[in-house]
Amino acid sequence: MIIGGKVIERLAPDALAELAGGRIAAVVSATNGKTTTTKLLATAVGATGPVVSQPTAANMTDGVLMALAAGDPDGQAVLEVDEAYLPLLYDDLHPRVLLLGNLSRDQLDRMNEVAMVARKWHDMIDRAAPGTTVVANADDPTIVWAARDAEPVVWVAAGQAWTSDSSVCLDCGALLARPDTGWECTGCDLRRPQPAWELDYAAAPGASGVSEVRSTARRLGDGAEFDLSQMRLPGRFNASNAALALACCEVLGLDLDESASRMSEVESVSGRFAIVDVGGLRVRLLLAKNPAGWSELFDIMPPAPAPVIVAVNSNPADGRDPSWLWDVPFEHLAGRVVIATGDRRRDLAVRLLHGDVEHVVVENPYAIGAALPEGTREQPAVDVAATYTQFHSLRTRAAAELEDRR
Amino acid sequence: MTSPSTGASGNSDSITIVSLFPTLLGTYGDGGNVLALRHRAQARGIGVDVVLVEPGDAVPRSADIYVMGGGEDTAQVAAARGLRAEGGLAAAVESGAALLAICAGYQLIGSEFPDARGVPSQGLELLDVTTTRLPQRAVGELAADPSESALAGLGDLPRMTGYENHAGATHVGPGAQPLGRVLSGVGNGDGTEGAWSGHVIGTYLHGPALARNPWIADRLLSWATGTELAPLAEREVDELRAERFRTVLGD
Repeated sequence: MIIGGKVIERLAPDALAELAGGRIAAVVSATNGKTTTTKLLATAVGATGPVVSQPTAANMTDGVLMALAAGDPDGQAVLEVDEAYLPLLYDDLHPRVLLLGNLSRDQLDRMNEVAMVARKWHDMIDRAAPGTTVVANADDPTIVWAARDAEPVVWVAAGQAWTSDSSVCLDCGALLARPDTGWECTGCDLRRPQPAWELDYAAAPGASGVSEVRSTARRLGDGAEFDLSQMRLPGRFNASNAALALACCEVLGLDLDESASRMSEVESVSGRFAIVDVGGLRVRLLLAKNPAGWSELFDIMPPAPAPVIVAVNSNPADGRDPSWLWDVPFEHLAGRVVIATGDRRRDLAVRLLHGDVEHVVVENPYAIGAALPEGTREQPAVDVAATYTQFHSLRTRAAAELEDRR
Repeated sequence: MTSPSTGASGNSDSITIVSLFPTLLGTYGDGGNVLALRHRAQARGIGVDVVLVEPGDAVPRSADIYVMGGGEDTAQVAAARGLRAEGGLAAAVESGAALLAICAGYQLIGSEFPDARGVPSQGLELLDVTTTRLPQRAVGELAADPSESALAGLGDLPRMTGYENHAGATHVGPGAQPLGRVLSGVGNGDGTEGAWSGHVIGTYLHGPALARNPWIADRLLSWATGTELAPLAEREVDELRAERFRTVLGD
């Protein structure tokens, strides 16, 4: 990927800037939620005319170039960019809004360590030409540290479920404290900035086991509230993505009630949360590629004892080192049987053994007649939490099988 | 992670494990080493107390096993400084406690290691190793056979497996012995991997090391309890090890 991008740059060094040509409405980057947030925002921007975005979530140099080259030349672009590639592409893209969602450990064999990415983001913002508004998550200290000198900046209190990669101040090295009001450094002045927007999210188990969600994005300046309770995408993290996207919509001058309502209709993004048939099984596809992403998934899984499938690969796009599995609190899955699959199913089995989580190792749980734990096939759809390449092969397979049945 | 106390201090049926700076030095899943120790202790009926020590906390001086993981450069320097000033870890190791240190932790228990800019930084001097920079970062699977000194001093260890992700070239001094001989990967950078001396073990193996190499966990537990432990084979672990060696070494 790096070589491909470099070759294109060498052949046409100005290609990206020319294709971007002042029509980039927004660029979205984060460790988790890039694709979903981009889709939410692109859907809202779609109210005003054609939108160019990545159809396949390809978010490195080639993917961004391809999307711009292939999309409607008159369309505004809403693009996601890989967090390591963002500093390389940012100047050429020169978006009206830059959305920064969260940073946490992911693919440590390929990606830099978290602090290094934050440092590159900070330098990128520091040297950037004016004209971009940064919309950033005030609840993620790493994001705040990276974006603190941005001008203008809109802080959104969008929440942070995974705090283990932001326990130390990037400015002074002291520990961060997390009082009820947010977070603050115990050694210097770095603290959660005053947000312009906040997300209010609560889910309570309702009738028939389906949780009832109350979710509101609030603009603190005037107290205006925008209802996100009807979002089809599940979970607090998707509400958080929507709150960040809504703050971008305001910068872009969109009608916010209409934006919230358009975003609420988004059902599945590049297969995420889609319910599909694979082989002999109906499954719901969940992308679970790092500890922070995982920590948001436990809440949206059906309660124990419903079995779930966890599918782990270690191809380059997954991260070659699956030891991040030990940072995921799989203990939350106790009380059910986990079906471990994927190339690294044995690593997962050892992890589950140490978490006292009952498990079976099944090479192909989708095979007709595969031996699966009791109750698996009785579910309307079995949750499959899968790493990147597992997720994509399931998605591709489901689409191909659907085609065959037609 | 702190489990309820299983008895009065000094109870021979129970041991205390200290996890040093798990938030600073826990980037690569190394928290799993504590889970592996607890798991294998409990399987033998040994009670376990786990104490999490963060920067600023006092380091208990009378615990049995101390465990430190890998982390980012700035965290490593902060951890070394904090532990050196506090002094509890050195006192515990001096009185015979076991210490397992991984990657950045391994480097910082030596006498010197490079900081984020490559400038030598003072270590804790609990293991006779010094670390400089590798010309190129070592990232990938690491497999090693135990060194002769490890076989003689640590018992009949089998082949070791893990994942490395570091930029350190570590030189083992005369006061320590290499833990292994590299079969695949980089390790210390000179064909050896890790180091040990007394009850102190340092290694570049993530994975985590003790989950993929439970014999090292058992060695630490034997030191802590003063007894040899009954063998414990687990199918999941055996299958993982076999698959890794097949993939990495082709055997």
